Amino acid sequence: MIKYFLILLIFVYSGVTVAGPMSDFKAGAELSEELSSSPTGKRNTPSSDSLIQSIDALNPENSSIWYDLQDHLLGKDINVLFVDDIKLIMQDYIEEAHKVPLIVTLPKRLHNFKNFILIIENNPIQQAMSIKPYRSIEALGMNIRLEDDSPVRAAVLADNGVWYIGSKMAFVASAGGCSTPACDPSVEVCETGTIGKIAIKQYEREAGAERIKLKITHPMETGFVTDLQGEIIPEYFVKNIHVDDNEGPIADITTFAALSSDPIILLDLPKKGQSVRIHVKDSLGLEFFSYKENNTM
Amino acid sequence: MRIFNIILIFILYLYSYPVFSANNFNLIPIEVSKNVYVFLGDINDVNNNNGGAISNTGFIIGDNSILVIDAGPSYLYASKVIEVIKSYSNLPIKYLVVTHHHADHSFGISRYLEIDTEIIMAEAEAKRYLKYGNRSLRQLRDLIGEEWFLNTKINSFKNKEKKYPINLDLGNRNITVELYEEGHSDGDLIVKDKISNILFVGDLVFTQRAPTSPHANIYNWKNYLDEIMKKDWDYLIPGHGNIVKNKEDILQTKKWINFIDKTANEASKNGVSALEIFNKGLPNFINNYKLGKETWYRDLPILINKYEFD
Repeated sequence: MIKYFLILLIFVYSGVTVAGPMSDFKAGAELSEELSSSPTGKRNTPSSDSLIQSIDALNPENSSIWYDLQDHLLGKDINVLFVDDIKLIMQDYIEEAHKVPLIVTLPKRLHNFKNFILIIENNPIQQAMSIKPYRSIEALGMNIRLEDDSPVRAAVLADNGVWYIGSKMAFVASAGGCSTPACDPSVEVCETGTIGKIAIKQYEREAGAERIKLKITHPMETGFVTDLQGEIIPEYFVKNIHVDDNEGPIADITTFAALSSDPIILLDLPKKGQSVRIHVKDSLGLEFFSYKENNTM
Repeated sequence: MRIFNIILIFILYLYSYPVFSANNFNLIPIEVSKNVYVFLGDINDVNNNNGGAISNTGFIIGDNSILVIDAGPSYLYASKVIEVIKSYSNLPIKYLVVTHHHADHSFGISRYLEIDTEIIMAEAEAKRYLKYGNRSLRQLRDLIGEEWFLNTKINSFKNKEKKYPINLDLGNRNITVELYEEGHSDGDLIVKDKISNILFVGDLVFTQRAPTSPHANIYNWKNYLDEIMKKDWDYLIPGHGNIVKNKEDILQTKKWINFIDKTANEASKNGVSALEIFNKGLPNFINNYKLGKETWYRDLPILINKYEFD
């Protein structure tokens, strides 16, 4: 009898199987395959299996909802190409699912894109944002919410009418980026900033290129969170952001509550402009300006 | 049938594993000086073998009472610590000094409230403990399992406004508690035992592993480290890592915070995101520290964001 027990013990300690109580958990953020040579994946048990798991999960053929999402968000009867030169830079293993930074870099041939849509497959709100640019954009960034482990996909509509799609698998340590409160007032003291406060930063990049960062103070309520009395906090989010500078419009951005609260948006432009400003509308119809509005607007 | 039973027992054994190990935090106190003890925390990150017990806990025994430094990560851990202390002395545990609000130092508070220990914690940090406590408790539960956090609660407690430094008498044993505002946290407490000339400095000093700085004011923190180096002490007990005898050991902490501060500052000036810095690979400097990589990934984005928009 003891013999069988020992055999089983040896079996387990040789690392053949069994996650669970003894799994060799490694905490901390881990980076994607393009960022490090040892990609992680499945939470708690990073291993080469994780990579295979990621690749499987990213394959649209294995997704139960991708093709519906594609029809719904990108349109029916369209040309879609999955590519690997649209890079989604984000951490593999995410500790704070309410606020997940992400940067998408585009290859040169897509700098003059027509539309950009960020899709988080396993979120209750799958579309995080879309951008219609008036000028070429080289890279963009944002902070998103992740409800659970999910493929994150950047769909970019090119001049030629083809949708190019870059994908990245993200794993969350603690699910609920959309459905649990970032701060729970029943047990925590929550501070909220002034809704509609806007910060704009302009930075110079190499060769006269520019980076713009926008931060809008806003709760970005998803409509999936309940308050103290168990009532659902209604959805309330920034809907549109119009960005321009002294040379005219830069982009129209449509945003959804899958962006995190106090969203930050990053845009890399090839040429530095002057006095970037934004005009924001939210889902209750409130409008916020980074500049003094005139009455005709 | 017999084999089936064996397998069943085996499976039960496997799943009860955390309970077994929870009974065994390996709590063996080191006697640093007469009646001054330290439990050294695990220098790995929080995992389901150490149950979150990654920081150091101390206790000092006087003639009529005992003072404990830091509550540890959970009710369970605090219970075990109290059990061990009882085996050394039956005197009441009169004071618990919580050096700052981070989970690994404060989540055992609920256990000490049951035995009427007076909790001493900087006011700003008590607020943060209440504000963020339940969220980090949830994250920790998800990370390493509910079993480790049975009965762990985030309790509000009487923390009447105090004037620092506080002088305490444990019975022929004078203790001073000093407040260092907005350094590593909003309010770090330093405990000095005069008889032994030992200083408990909480997370103002880390040895072995990388210092964590999510709530830090690095400018002040550096000055505080200089002050600590100039102070007179025989031994210094850091929040994490080995007991310090040589003043030079404090420089590890200073070098790390200098490095991460400089990187974050430059990044925020140029609008560079943490992700892009990560994308370039890890700086060699990081490899000098245990948990360097994990701490770097966790703290750099927080610092950059703070410098950029605050």
